[in-house]
Amino acid sequence: MPELTTKLTKDLEETGVAILPGVLSAQESRDAVDRLWAAAEGFRRMGGPTFMPQLDPNESNVRVFALLELDPLFRDLIRNPAALDLVEAVLGEGWMISNFTANIARPGSRSMSLHSDQALVVPEPWLAPWSVNIIWCLTDVRGENGGTLYIPGSHRFERLADVPDDALARLTPIVAPAGSIAVMDGRIWHTSGANVTKDEDRALLFGYYSADFLRPQVNWNALLSEETQGSLDPWMRARLGLDAAANIRMAGQLLGARPKSPMGVS
Amino acid sequence: MTLAEPRVRAALPAPVETVEAGLASIAEHGLAILPGVLGGARLEEARAALYRAADQDRARGREQKFALDYVGDETNQRVWNLLSRDPVFADMAEHPTALAFIRAILGWPALLGNISANITGPGGGEMVLHADQIFVPEPWARDAQGLNICWCLDDFTEETGATRIVAGSHRLNRAPRPDEAGAETVAVEAPAGAIVVLDSRVWHKTGNNRTADRRRGGVFAWYTRPIYRQQENWFLSLDPSVRQFASDEMLTLLGWKTTGLGLVNGASPA
Repeated sequence: MPELTTKLTKDLEETGVAILPGVLSAQESRDAVDRLWAAAEGFRRMGGPTFMPQLDPNESNVRVFALLELDPLFRDLIRNPAALDLVEAVLGEGWMISNFTANIARPGSRSMSLHSDQALVVPEPWLAPWSVNIIWCLTDVRGENGGTLYIPGSHRFERLADVPDDALARLTPIVAPAGSIAVMDGRIWHTSGANVTKDEDRALLFGYYSADFLRPQVNWNALLSEETQGSLDPWMRARLGLDAAANIRMAGQLLGARPKSPMGVS
Repeated sequence: MTLAEPRVRAALPAPVETVEAGLASIAEHGLAILPGVLGGARLEEARAALYRAADQDRARGREQKFALDYVGDETNQRVWNLLSRDPVFADMAEHPTALAFIRAILGWPALLGNISANITGPGGGEMVLHADQIFVPEPWARDAQGLNICWCLDDFTEETGATRIVAGSHRLNRAPRPDEAGAETVAVEAPAGAIVVLDSRVWHKTGNNRTADRRRGGVFAWYTRPIYRQQENWFLSLDPSVRQFASDEMLTLLGWKTTGLGLVNGASPA
């Protein structure tokens, strides 16, 4: 398990969210925004829709889905060591890269529905984190420009019945300077914020990692081109689940109990 | 040893003839035995396809051992990725009776995690007692997260190494602990052509094959709710013609037709 600072550990435990500033410099953040807009253009050229009516109320939210295919910068960010320390602090060793997408909130963009990523997918009870978001803040992020809204401590909601009636009133925005990453426990109830500024784009990347027995959000075999797949090292191929080693979790625990010879005579 | 918990016992449920009766048997015992699902020429075709694939693998040195079988096993044989070996196995994976159980217990869509064969051979040994959903951390959710449908292509008898189960153990809703590996089990005896539908929580293992000269072939189709990663990476390993001629139901089972998870650019790959 990686050693985190006391503050990161405390914030994660108490609120389910923690912020690590300064992972990217100001210049690196600006460059990443430029590369992101280029990727959005590349995504449209692939025929990909950057507006998802099932997720967002209007077209001011720009979504880019194929980041790992579109630019090697994003293939570096998804395995950034500081990010992976946070992933493993939440999930431990057995995790996969589930998705990597961008959400650029342009002025006028509005909130999606309140949800927890884990509650959307896995049955109750939600006693442990089975997924985690690493949110790359490529611009300054705050309430007014559509910073992600979350309920502090909602990673302790074990069942739907634990979500309080006044959930929406408990939402608070992630506030972080450009170049930060925010780590958010997969059980945290959250939604995208509304961008009520006149002229400010808010660019976030969502690296989503899940326990290795869960089906990733993206089918990487189907998404990544042959060229991209061929460029990846074995570690990355394994984390994307591209190879033959699929869901064998827990089998290791049984190996100790394996019969040593036929007929149970050992 | 005998388990102290109520309603966990070694006795075998009676065979049933309908899906409805099968569902009741699974709820009570954790498994259902339905004889005669595959008969006559269809059974012979499936059996011939399985042993052709198994014999090819053995002759060409392509056998892949399974880590949970006993150490040094040279007799029992696993045959993987059956969908790519003969179309008859796709027919079994999406057989209406099988899918009726899947829809009733797991809902739809569901995924085919794997379809492989476990053939016991003379002198073959036992497997480790386990439940199939052990990859899910405990405590488990209220309901079964998967179903294993075993197609008996030979007679399953105590002597030939029929799968052994702890009937009712699905009610414990947890994996067996190491000190329960020796729990009392009973052989699931069923004639060739039967299916045995196992709740993913019921404790079971391969039995010993005590015969001098008989193999016992079973095809195990493993299905899960759509949130779990498959055991077989179909996108890597499947013969492309299987996908080409697949039904919509098969495309869903394999993960090509999907919503929410397993997407490409926010949409279903097919």
